[in-house]
Amino acid sequence: MEALKITGLSKVFGSGRLEVRALEDISLSIAAGDLVALMGPSGSGKTTLLLCVSLILEPTAGTVIFDGDTIYRDGWTGFDVRRLRREKVGFIFQTSNLIPFLTARENVLLPQYMVGMKGEMAENRAEELLEYMEVADRADYLPALLSGGEQQRVSIARALANRPKLILADEPTASLDTIRGKKVMELLKKIARENQTAVITVTHDARMIEGFDSIYHLKDGRLNSEP
Amino acid sequence: MDLAVKDLKRHLGRFLTTVIGVGLLFGTVLAMNGVFRGVVFEGISLIEATNPDLWVVERFRGGPFSEQSTLAEDFHYTVAAVPGVAQASPFIVYPVERDIRGKSTRFTIIGYDVFGGLGGPSKLTAGRGIERAHYEAVAHKKLGLSLGEKIPLGLHFYTVVGLTDNITSPDGEPVVFLSLPDAQEVLFQRDNETVRNQRERLRRSLTRNAVTSREADRLISELQSETHTINAVLVKLAPGADRLKVARHIEDWLYFSVYTSQEEINLMLRGRLAKARMQLLTFRIILLIVSMVILTLVIYTFTMEKIRSIAIMKLMGATNWMVIRLVLEQSLLLTLSSFIIGWLIIHNTQDFFPRKIFLTPLDESVTFGLALLGGLVASGLGIWQALKTQPAMALGGH
Repeated sequence: MEALKITGLSKVFGSGRLEVRALEDISLSIAAGDLVALMGPSGSGKTTLLLCVSLILEPTAGTVIFDGDTIYRDGWTGFDVRRLRREKVGFIFQTSNLIPFLTARENVLLPQYMVGMKGEMAENRAEELLEYMEVADRADYLPALLSGGEQQRVSIARALANRPKLILADEPTASLDTIRGKKVMELLKKIARENQTAVITVTHDARMIEGFDSIYHLKDGRLNSEP
Repeated sequence: MDLAVKDLKRHLGRFLTTVIGVGLLFGTVLAMNGVFRGVVFEGISLIEATNPDLWVVERFRGGPFSEQSTLAEDFHYTVAAVPGVAQASPFIVYPVERDIRGKSTRFTIIGYDVFGGLGGPSKLTAGRGIERAHYEAVAHKKLGLSLGEKIPLGLHFYTVVGLTDNITSPDGEPVVFLSLPDAQEVLFQRDNETVRNQRERLRRSLTRNAVTSREADRLISELQSETHTINAVLVKLAPGADRLKVARHIEDWLYFSVYTSQEEINLMLRGRLAKARMQLLTFRIILLIVSMVILTLVIYTFTMEKIRSIAIMKLMGATNWMVIRLVLEQSLLLTLSSFIIGWLIIHNTQDFFPRKIFLTPLDESVTFGLALLGGLVASGLGIWQALKTQPAMALGGH
């Protein structure tokens, strides 16, 4: 089953002489459990595509079908995209981007709290995810007291909290050394396979994408894929 | 999960420091309220505590507090004879600076008819009222005197027989009640050298004008300055007497000025106290504005420090209410805690101020309301900033 299907997606900023076509006729399809890499030089439109895919930025044209629902059709949506984001999308960032005043456990509890899941069930889920990410012993630490790798693992646990259909990882290894970076990528592969979650990863580092199902290259807002 | 409280708990030290800082500011605002009310309270306390039906003073004078007023003492008999007047008592009031317990102290002496006359201390906290014609005093507690203690005033010692605490002079100084003759003596008593000098000047003046030396000696005692003067006559009206009619009668036929106690209060508020009140009111308003601005900046800074966390939460799909609650709750916690600190500070230090700090529940409620309003406005600014934060801010650029 397709987790995400994008057809003819374009994004234009400004108008007239100031018009910038950030994305041009992008089409791609990602199945549940697929691991997809998005690569490209700076200014190629990766962030814009990620923002469109994560339902933050409205595309100017094209269709975005997510989990069987047509979310955007030619710049229009009838969905509460914020709700879709908190219920069905998980985010992993370049730096861990954990909430600094919450402990590791509370950071994992936060997305659950956002969808109204509280109490023992939420606590158990957080515990389970922290164990899965092998940071359970750091559950009560503030992010500032965790290493970069630990922070990123907590960040992944947070992204998984609400069993998302899609995980968007924005340069998840950028702040890690090669060994830790590879470990994070292995984790993402494991998550995609075991949870049947589609994972889109933006990365600059070709060494990190071994075993990915699809690799897309963006250049000047246009997409080229290689299987 | 209460994000606002969690954030504050993680930064407890900074939060407490901020609360103490803003609390001190609120304490200062409350103190200024108290100083403002205190100036008015003390300014009119003597009038309110004395509270006769009418104050009779020297013609065209706003006395005895706003302006000097001098009357011959026996005029109170004339006033007492006016139809509608039940009682008329002489009253004298003046400030002095004398040694009390070896320390130069400013206070105000009030002289009144101690045998049933008007103008005495209205409430005693200890001891009794003056019962003898001479050498007894009732003193304000602020002077630190004890019952039975003797204070030197002029040539005599006066025994403190009672203590009071509800009356101060319009300048906030403590008062000492004496019998009228004692108060006049303390006011006019001169040392022997001064009396001799004055007599000598009079003698020279008389002899220069062809008065014989023998005749001059006889006239000197007659020409000494009058000491039987008072500042006002206090009037109690007979039951059913028309206050206005009696006042007009005294003004038209006895050539005095007459005021009710309310008019005396108005004279004080519009005259002697007006500038001080305006000065304090202006300062009070400025201080309140400064507090609001500082509170707004503090809350805005608190919000801006979390702007990246807010962007992350928005990216994760946080509702607007969740973001608003985070900012609003912190703002209200900060405002409320600071106000409580300020309230505690001023309520525990007010007695250390040299003048009365008169705190009223109304002033405190209004200040709290304005602080709360300021907190809401401040959080409005923070909320506006938080809501316009783009979730994309949480992502790095590519």
